[in-house]
Amino acid sequence: MKPIAQTQADILILGSGGAGLLAALHAYDANPSLNIILAVKGLAGKSGCTRMVQGGYNVVLDPQDSHEKHFLDTIKGGGFINNQELAWTLVTDATRIIHELENKVGCFFDRRPDGRVHQKAFAGQCFDRTVHRSDLTGIEIISRLRDQVFARKVRILEECRGIDLLIRDGRVNGVLLLDIRSGEPFIVQSKAVILATGGGAGMYKISAPSKEKTGDGAAMAFRAGALFVDMEMMQFHPTGLLAGNSQLTGSVLEEGLRGAGGYLFNAQGERFMERYDPERMERSTRDQVARASYREIMAGRGTVNGGVLIDMSHLGAEFVERTFPGMVDRVKDIGKDLAREPIEVSPTGHFHMGGVKIDKECRTNLEGLFVAGEDSGGVHGANRLGGNGVAESTVFGARAGDAAAVYVAEHTFSPIDEDQAKALWEETRKPFRRSRGEDPYRLSQELKNLTWEKIGVVRTKGDLEQALGKLSEMAEQAQQVRASGSPAFNLEWNEGLNVRNQITVARMIAKSALVREESRGSHFRLDFPQSDNAHWLQNIFLKRQGEKEMQIFTKAVDFSRLRPEEVV
Amino acid sequence: MGSFLNVTVFRYHPGTDHSPRTESFEVPESKQMAILDVLTYIQNHLDRSLAFRFSCRIGMCGSCALFINGRSRLACRTLVEGLGTKIIRIRPLPNLPVIKDLTVDMTPFFDKYEKVKPYFIANEDREDFYLVPEESKERDLVDKMLECITCGACFSSCTMVTTNSHYLGPAALNRAFCLIADKRDGAGDERLRLVNGPEGIWRCHGQFNCMEVCPKKIIPTWSIQQLKKRCVFRKWMGMG
Repeated sequence: MKPIAQTQADILILGSGGAGLLAALHAYDANPSLNIILAVKGLAGKSGCTRMVQGGYNVVLDPQDSHEKHFLDTIKGGGFINNQELAWTLVTDATRIIHELENKVGCFFDRRPDGRVHQKAFAGQCFDRTVHRSDLTGIEIISRLRDQVFARKVRILEECRGIDLLIRDGRVNGVLLLDIRSGEPFIVQSKAVILATGGGAGMYKISAPSKEKTGDGAAMAFRAGALFVDMEMMQFHPTGLLAGNSQLTGSVLEEGLRGAGGYLFNAQGERFMERYDPERMERSTRDQVARASYREIMAGRGTVNGGVLIDMSHLGAEFVERTFPGMVDRVKDIGKDLAREPIEVSPTGHFHMGGVKIDKECRTNLEGLFVAGEDSGGVHGANRLGGNGVAESTVFGARAGDAAAVYVAEHTFSPIDEDQAKALWEETRKPFRRSRGEDPYRLSQELKNLTWEKIGVVRTKGDLEQALGKLSEMAEQAQQVRASGSPAFNLEWNEGLNVRNQITVARMIAKSALVREESRGSHFRLDFPQSDNAHWLQNIFLKRQGEKEMQIFTKAVDFSRLRPEEVV
Repeated sequence: MGSFLNVTVFRYHPGTDHSPRTESFEVPESKQMAILDVLTYIQNHLDRSLAFRFSCRIGMCGSCALFINGRSRLACRTLVEGLGTKIIRIRPLPNLPVIKDLTVDMTPFFDKYEKVKPYFIANEDREDFYLVPEESKERDLVDKMLECITCGACFSSCTMVTTNSHYLGPAALNRAFCLIADKRDGAGDERLRLVNGPEGIWRCHGQFNCMEVCPKKIIPTWSIQQLKKRCVFRKWMGMG
């Protein structure tokens, strides 16, 4: 085997969503002489979910609002198991970063009649604090960020995916990557790696994320020995569009619809939220509404296609068309009219609150590895508020960039373990030698169904144990997938790499979900339907042990700023 | 339902294949089927070697623009039903080099985009947000043209791009306009100079091909017209 091509970067960033791009901008601006590489699985600024943000960005701007209020909403929404230091960092930094986005990066957010920035209502929050640009906010944020990265000397490698982190003497010192276009491997030797690839919610049968998000970052970090927190916490957005076999299925109809006063009905015409959260009704948090919808559907009160109905028509067609043009447009694609008739929706796999444990500087338990955005865990606890996602990716992306710039000034390159890289690459290309191997698409389909049924909205001990058994079989099968033809731009081969990573993440979810014998936030156990504050104000930590096992332990939440009993 | 689509797909891997070819597939039609679903079906069930590109699948990322039945469109937002025929021809975007099959290299598009300095340059260090009333003209000018997803559909449809590879093209010029019209930006004069030339705004002959194909209903021709007006005005005022 010929040697694998090698290149060098002070900082290697994986991912070009909000976290990756902010990391690049901040690292570069901290020290323009740094050699920074940004590797993206898709096209720069086009892959990932920041671009798909519809609703907006939660941030305290109004004098009548406060960081304390935003913090309290975030902690309450998170079922009190958030890392409070991270949550506090989120709400306080967000105010600074939104100004940076508008005044320096150039985003042009929507205004009020008096010229000030408009903030709209979002569910689960005591104040209207969601900054937006119409109902497709992400396009503006990510496009302007990408434009700014273009203006700086950052090397962008498109359609290059991370295969595995490289480690020497306990320190992450580079990454083995695959150039998807050529099918060739290469190594980036780096002083610091910033992981910002996004989560793995796409593994669910009905799900919202973009195609590239297959838990690559989490799976790579797991294999490298990173410590994870609260992996059972997977959010289902309550209003995913149902569109038959179309890829449109699962795409999110934004939270603002409920914020603006949209109703949810079951097939019998009942506003079923009355039974689950009579006070907040449809403006309850995502976890509550998703679970309520799921239970209605499972109880046989759903539509024939397995959904419930969101109805905006009582708000007036003209209002809906003016306020939610993007949503109206999307629904039109399935031949329906959001402004005038009820639309079938279902809970949809959306966002992973769990992830690699980080500190405020996005450092991890692995030297040289920084993690930001959805690959990290702890900020949102058991449930993320709508509008806190893009706030997280930009706030912590910026922090990761700042921290990595400082870190690399104090560290040197360490030599790559070429044998390790070669062995990893041998394994990666093996599918081409298996003409009778497993079909990665079949495996992926099987995983989608399994995750949806066994580790989805409603969980039980029996289901989780079954899922774990099945997942370890599937992990073996994923080692036996096949690929055919040329390695260049080979989607089948990449699907095999995707599903392997997704299975790794699914196992972490199932394992943590089995341990948490209570219900909290997005994690609902039918056999333990209540929140158990006496025993479960705990975080669940998990890391790899040996080749196939996981080490798992719990630790009481550190209420460093606010105790649950202090909240009325 | 139960009917089949006759889908012809462009195939080519430069450096490996001698020349481009097309291949035809029979694809069972399903409800609410978009071209993206058609391609996924072919890739998963009929020919695993087919390469195509998509990401968000809801019209926000602009990764899946293709030349479908004679017109550039997003695969994810193009419904089979809307094409009005069972015969479908899919080719990569014109005016861009092919990487493999339906995937193109967007570099020529973004090279031009970068030439207009597409990034915001604040006109002053500002602590607070710039006051721009919601219904004001200064907001309205930019608002309608802001949502470009850089899919390249306009670039691929512009005959002026086809005949002159140096022409900046509709998306880049539209971006330049958005910044020039943006009161918060401080590099408008410089950008106006960058676009004021035979390979900039004056190359546009107002054919509106870009407007016809834009999935975001942007009208680059209109933005270019605004830029032309500004340039003429400056000349007239003796401002160069």
